[in-house]
Amino acid sequence: MPASMRPGRRREVLVAHALLAPALLLVLGVLAYPVAWEAWISLTSFAARAERPAFVGLANYRAMLADPFFWRALATTVVYFAATTAAKLALGLAMALLLARPARGRALVFLAVFLPWAYPGGVTVVAWYWMLNPPLITSYSVPVGNLKHAVDGLLGGGAYAFASVMLFNIWRGASFTAVFLLAGLNAIPTELFEYARLEERSAWRRFRHVTVPLLRPFLALAVFLSFTGAFADLANVWMLTGGRIVFPVIGTYAYWLGVRSGDLAAAAAWSLSLVPLLALALVVLFRWFDPPREEPA
Amino acid sequence: MSRRRLGRLVHGALLGLVALYSVFPIYFITVQSLKTAEEDVFGSPLYVLRPTFENYTELFRGAEARVRGFVIVPRVPFLIWLANSALVLGLAVALTLAAAVAAGYALGRLRPPGWRWWRRALFATYVVPHTILFIPLYQVILALGLDDSHGALVLVYSTMALPFCVWLLSAYYHHLPREIEDSAVVEGASRATAFLRVVLPMSRNVLIAAGLFTVGTVGNDFMLASIFLLTPEKQTVAAGLGVMDVSLEELLAVAGVNLAAVPVALACAVLARRYVEGVTAAMLEGA
Repeated sequence: MPASMRPGRRREVLVAHALLAPALLLVLGVLAYPVAWEAWISLTSFAARAERPAFVGLANYRAMLADPFFWRALATTVVYFAATTAAKLALGLAMALLLARPARGRALVFLAVFLPWAYPGGVTVVAWYWMLNPPLITSYSVPVGNLKHAVDGLLGGGAYAFASVMLFNIWRGASFTAVFLLAGLNAIPTELFEYARLEERSAWRRFRHVTVPLLRPFLALAVFLSFTGAFADLANVWMLTGGRIVFPVIGTYAYWLGVRSGDLAAAAAWSLSLVPLLALALVVLFRWFDPPREEPA
Repeated sequence: MSRRRLGRLVHGALLGLVALYSVFPIYFITVQSLKTAEEDVFGSPLYVLRPTFENYTELFRGAEARVRGFVIVPRVPFLIWLANSALVLGLAVALTLAAAVAAGYALGRLRPPGWRWWRRALFATYVVPHTILFIPLYQVILALGLDDSHGALVLVYSTMALPFCVWLLSAYYHHLPREIEDSAVVEGASRATAFLRVVLPMSRNVLIAAGLFTVGTVGNDFMLASIFLLTPEKQTVAAGLGVMDVSLEELLAVAGVNLAAVPVALACAVLARRYVEGVTAAMLEGA
């Protein structure tokens, strides 16, 4: 409605677009071509050894969907995302609630909780690697080795390595979630809690009906950031272990297809297969952390 | 009364447990890095009796390969890597914050038509899986002439944390009462001055939160660093020690990354409280 536009508004919109430009240029400039390339490649027979890549339509996707291995990898991936996110939320929320209550030494514990996320992941991933997969000659190699064989024997080869990736991701991610949710708890006015105390005696129901709904935008954001973090850690661990993770996860298998066997077209199709799932998660979560609401005048 | 004391005791014990769990892996790896080869084999994994700083001092020996016992100690230009890491991290954070403040103010305060969708579109870039994206990304880097240069990393890193930072800052500016800058404008300041002198200082904590988020996100990477930087002298610490000459089985690598992490961890410790305050301020509804 240009008629009702304030005279300065036109200029304001112009300034807004100018200020928005650097961020958009940066993100789109860096990502637009790679994403388009990946999408296009997934429709061709492009490979490291192929002489002349040809357009093959959806053949790569059809081959992928017909591959029983893909469905196993997808299941593993979903389990990985779901389990780590659930653990990060539960642990993070528990730690945030513990830290929200006044106690002696709380400030120190808060710093300790902040540490796993603040400490560069490059270091801590090495720490976990040493702890769970020690070099042959250290004093604790034997017990840890026994544990590894017990776990692998029970759940199948590679289970231990997979579990250690999950543990690392949970440790690092729960720290971020805890601090983030603590900020969320601080944003809730204390009067609300006091009022709830008068109304509801059961602590569990207070938590369920007052704390959780008020934290919902924070929880939703934390869930989504947990997904992206789970993805990033996977790449790191892959690099660190030199591809010794044998449990098929979509991300690592796509990497293996692309880099080890040079089948880039299939690798592109595999890694893009997660986009619909993540997009769906984002659309659902947007409703919680970015609800369309009436603008106050 | 005694039930209350019991509650306090349980709370304290749980807090202690949380602290232990959070710090343990870092403590553990530090202990290992202080061990002599002898104690590494025969000692306890949980503590060190005769600590040696050999692994740490070794890092600063410079470019000469040395023999220690029967082992050839690989040479690492550690100080150069350290400087590279600081440079890349600093520039990436600066670029991220500058772009995020501008975009956050535009989306949160000026609200051009469809601002909500712009914000969502930026955030949706998190959906892109980074698995083999580095191949076309490398083509972009080559086209920009940034091959084997720190600029490539700064550019790519800046896009990693940006969407969340824009989200945080735009939420903050959305809730910040308009009267604050309006009164400065009434007093004769231009809008830009009002922003720089009044609004920006007010958003200090939110900026710290966004900055620390960037450090945490970017500090995690060494895959991209090891791909884009080829010359040994241009590597960052994590990439250099993790992937190059040094095998991960060597305590030298552990010592190196640990040492590099200390300044980051210290900065985070100092700013941790402001980080929480910043996130709270940004997400506070209807303030």
